[in-house]
Amino acid sequence: MTTKKISKKDIGKLLEGWSRELTVFVPSKDKGVTEMAKWDGKDTSFLEWYRNTAIPAKASFLPASEKMFSFQKNTDGYHLELSKDQQKRIVFGIRPCDAKAMAIIDKVFTDSYEDPYYLSKRNNTILVGLSCTNPYDSCFCTSLGVEPTESADVDLMFTDIGDEFLIEEVTDRGKELMTIAVGAKEATKADDAKAKAVKVAVSGMLLRKVDTKDIAERLQACFSDKDYWEKVAAKCISCGICTFLCPTCFCFDICDELVKKQGTRYRGWDSCSFRLYTKMPMENPREEKWRRVRQKVCHKYEFYPMNFDVIACTGCGRCIRLCPVNWDITQILSSLPASVTSHSDK
Amino acid sequence: MEQELRKEASKLLEEGKVDYIVGFAPGSLKFSTTPLITKEKEEVASLVINPFIVNNLAKFLTEVLGRVGIVAKGCDSRSIVSLIQDNQVVRENVVIIGVPCSGLIDIVKVEKLVGKDRNEIDDIALQGEKVAVIVGGEKTELPTKKVLFDNCLGCEFPTPQEYDILIGEPVDTTCNRELGQEKMKELEGMTPERRWEFWKYQFSRCIMCYACRQVCPACFCERCFIEESEPQWVLPVSKWQDNLIFQVIRNIHVAGRCTDCGECERVCPVNIPLRSLTKKMYGLVNEMFHYEAGTDKNAPPLMTAYEYEETKDLIR
Repeated sequence: MTTKKISKKDIGKLLEGWSRELTVFVPSKDKGVTEMAKWDGKDTSFLEWYRNTAIPAKASFLPASEKMFSFQKNTDGYHLELSKDQQKRIVFGIRPCDAKAMAIIDKVFTDSYEDPYYLSKRNNTILVGLSCTNPYDSCFCTSLGVEPTESADVDLMFTDIGDEFLIEEVTDRGKELMTIAVGAKEATKADDAKAKAVKVAVSGMLLRKVDTKDIAERLQACFSDKDYWEKVAAKCISCGICTFLCPTCFCFDICDELVKKQGTRYRGWDSCSFRLYTKMPMENPREEKWRRVRQKVCHKYEFYPMNFDVIACTGCGRCIRLCPVNWDITQILSSLPASVTSHSDK
Repeated sequence: MEQELRKEASKLLEEGKVDYIVGFAPGSLKFSTTPLITKEKEEVASLVINPFIVNNLAKFLTEVLGRVGIVAKGCDSRSIVSLIQDNQVVRENVVIIGVPCSGLIDIVKVEKLVGKDRNEIDDIALQGEKVAVIVGGEKTELPTKKVLFDNCLGCEFPTPQEYDILIGEPVDTTCNRELGQEKMKELEGMTPERRWEFWKYQFSRCIMCYACRQVCPACFCERCFIEESEPQWVLPVSKWQDNLIFQVIRNIHVAGRCTDCGECERVCPVNIPLRSLTKKMYGLVNEMFHYEAGTDKNAPPLMTAYEYEETKDLIR
């Protein structure tokens, strides 16, 4: 992999150069919450405060709510107008956990059906990663096989090596982007070595661990253990925070807004924590809270791996950090009972 | 105090007076606690009392089956009383373990003042008028008033009024009701147009996680109006108009039930200042009906009672 470097004080110039060609998104707290937002053209203060955003970068690809199309009924039938987002973009500063999450949910959006809304944004966006050098105590990415400085799922990777960032050119798209990079220089062997040392050091900072060995089998074994699930679900308040702010949760609901003979179809985040999520006219298979909590855990650690060979969690820790009751998935996964014999209550 | 609490809780379980204990245990993050809902005597040993017992546990009373021994701060005990008034909780089925509260520390305020995140702070100690914060071995003293939750600053009932067991000594109520209302006052000072723009902007940021409703003990409806599909009152995707309607209706529904525990604002993941609405409603209820939620378990719920006097300035 070829590497380059750039001085930290030149990041403004770099983004400015890029923003002439593409729309640049950076970590922002302008709207009262940390999220990826369109760069204002000058502020690079995020380099000082940014650890990770509360709203994950997935929102740049699967927004909390988005317009799918508008429709109108005329004398000759319905007319649809698709909303197309073909904007070429850069998401600058995405953390490796969130980048891995994108690779994970790509699988569901390209599985039996290619989702045009998600994929158009995904294909038009270059991910510029920023190595995580100050993980939270809620982070447990290394347990999920994600290194905080991992470059596998981004196009370019920036790593803090003091007064400069080392830049890894991971993909061809990333390389191409570097051809219009203002202020970048060739990196030396010493710079590469510095980055390597940073990577080793940060990996050791992750103290929260989860044993994910045979996790799908272990979950399967205790699936029917109602007592266990009731106990771990007791303090959950069934809000949508852990799922909405999870970088790998992708569920959405669809609805129409109608005004006379025209309307708009929207889709927006939905959550298996909500009772309404599985409500059907006659019954609700997940009426009780423990069933919903079990679904959330099992979907990430058992069902998703069964379907796509990968655990749908990257250890970003948001569900722990932002939970109103400190419901901690790492504690749940560490306290799974060995197995139960009764399979009566599924 | 913690020892006394654990002893009492354990005794309640042992003597069969309650089926469950609902209290606080240490959280998995620094300066955090987590609700403990248990029937195991051994687990009672992890009960804690500290300035980080943020949750209003009354929320769980409508869920946990059987008789419950519940740890309650002043505001929580009012929520419990309010639930009793609304026939959601049977007084005899609850053993209220009152915990006098000197105010809870808002970790976000501490983080902002010391410029460090929660896990980078070594220690936080509430010492009367001052809070000692240690970062990297260095001690900083912050005025307590700057780091308590807004709703704690003007708390009128830090000691539970309704309890069966009181742990420790009652806390002096020398509160200043005017404190902790800066945000609301600022909004009151705005022109209606500006205030409209303010809320329009705030609700455009709502992600509809409904944590505000879920965490609220006063929101005990089996089925919330926003979950109705026929008619569909609000769209299931985030639109500021619908989010505003949701909050307005929620506020009217909890009027006379809201005890200003501040949980809705604390849990909002996108930091919408929801307490500015609930506190306003709380004040209006007080002013119009001379009613304080959850202070009298024998009083009829606000909206079910009617006095002729009230007609005088009902419509204005």
